[in-house]
Amino acid sequence: MNDKYVIEIKKRSWKEWLLWAIWLFAEVSLFQMAIASGAELEPRAATIFWVTFFALLIAGVIVWFMRRDK
Amino acid sequence: MSDKGKVKLSRRDFLRTLGLGVGAAAVGIAAKPLGGTTLAANPNFEARHFSDPAGRPNRPWWVKTVDQPTIEIDWAKMKRYNEGYKADLGTGTVRGGGFEAYVGKEKSDELNAISATTLKDGILNNVPGYTLKDQALKGAQDAGRVGMSFVGPQKAKTPEEKGVPKWTGSPEEGSRILRAAFRHMGAATVGFVELNENTKKLIYSFDPDGKELIFTNDLEPSETETQRLIPNTAKSVLVYTIQMSEETLKRAPTPLGQQTTGLAYKRHTVVQAAMQEFLRGMGYMGMGSASINALGIAPAFGVLAGLGEMSRLNRMITPEFGPMVRCFIILTDMPVAFDKPIDAGVMEFCKRCKKCAEACATGALSFDDEPSWETRGPWNNPGHKAYFEDSTKCMTYWREVGTNCGICFSVCPFAKKDKAWIHEWVKATASTAPVMDGFMRSMDDAFGYGAQKDCEEWWQLDLPEYGTDSSGMIW
Repeated sequence: MNDKYVIEIKKRSWKEWLLWAIWLFAEVSLFQMAIASGAELEPRAATIFWVTFFALLIAGVIVWFMRRDK
Repeated sequence: MSDKGKVKLSRRDFLRTLGLGVGAAAVGIAAKPLGGTTLAANPNFEARHFSDPAGRPNRPWWVKTVDQPTIEIDWAKMKRYNEGYKADLGTGTVRGGGFEAYVGKEKSDELNAISATTLKDGILNNVPGYTLKDQALKGAQDAGRVGMSFVGPQKAKTPEEKGVPKWTGSPEEGSRILRAAFRHMGAATVGFVELNENTKKLIYSFDPDGKELIFTNDLEPSETETQRLIPNTAKSVLVYTIQMSEETLKRAPTPLGQQTTGLAYKRHTVVQAAMQEFLRGMGYMGMGSASINALGIAPAFGVLAGLGEMSRLNRMITPEFGPMVRCFIILTDMPVAFDKPIDAGVMEFCKRCKKCAEACATGALSFDDEPSWETRGPWNNPGHKAYFEDSTKCMTYWREVGTNCGICFSVCPFAKKDKAWIHEWVKATASTAPVMDGFMRSMDDAFGYGAQKDCEEWWQLDLPEYGTDSSGMIW
């Protein structure tokens, strides 16, 4: 047999990596500020940071899931 | 052997996970300097050496040293202020007995009666913040002060008494030694100002007890029944701050909230007496406040020393602790390196914020867009451009609620703890991009900062010593 297989590797552009880096930085920052706001006894600020953190996390997971095969 | 039940992790997934972990850690570490923990705000975080010969702290990059303070001063128009409240001394302070001179004896008596009733009813009706335990705590702060005096306890042995020469060294060395000693005694931040013909105008003409403060050519400070004599050889003003508990002052205006102010004053009495004795032990004079709010306009010296900026509160706001400090001075002849004022964007922020003025229950604070040379009454000292306040309204409210207020301090956007990165980012933005000030103020409201808190909850809190924690940001 002489079958040929073509494996196509799509490299992500630097712009996409940059966006993911920004997303990661935002997530780390939000996580720190949510934890620290709790320590600062600022419940409203902590809630806002936690909600934003999880919203961004879910958004990131959805985007990753949708683009994982592209 | 079966792989059933085991979690498989491919090399690719492993590397990806590892990369994410390392990336997150790197971002976290890299982000910390953006927040810029400061030596001043973070004294206990880790032991380190002074990097500056004079011991000046490594402040964040957005705290800029400037030649002139962000408040305009006309030294020619400025006069020494009368902080005495004896009737024969004329108008001056609105504090203490001075209040009666402004509102009249009848009104003053009426307000004092209201104050007494408010406090008693607060105990009997278990009003949060006014209960017996709240008022007992306040009483403990006021009663627990160390005796204050102009020349200090005078108990430590001088070098002369020990038969050794007094300390000598460069001004930078002097500053560094004094900073280390002040911090060790409990001061939050320390700065130094030259006492010259201009800055002498910030020393009161009369102390609160009516004694006249006089500069003389005497070699040693002294005190009589009617005067306190300051030698002209005292060329240095040592300025220091004591932290107040932001968490506690968010219970203002109540006796519970007020007692953090009392605690700062009490700690000041300890620091002052100790530093007067330290200076004596080094062979130098140390002239301090003979009573609370005596000797001179300490926040003005604080601004000149770069500890903070003047603000809409008409009080000093520091980059590290916001307005959550009390400021004090000691005069000495020990040589020190003088400091310069700072610009951290505080005054510019105050122009747009106005949160304190909105929160003030009596409208005592200015709503003007720009500071003014015009005073609001004789209780203000002319000669500088400021947001002057109506002190009689403020003091009237104090009596109506039976306690000091402090709402303007607690709602200030600069009055934050130092755990979350966001506060340093906001302060850096305020310093560099005033165009964002309005947005920052709106966000401060939206995030619930500055909101008054439950007084009974305070007694459930396991707060750090003195109710302040300046150990720095988490991570």
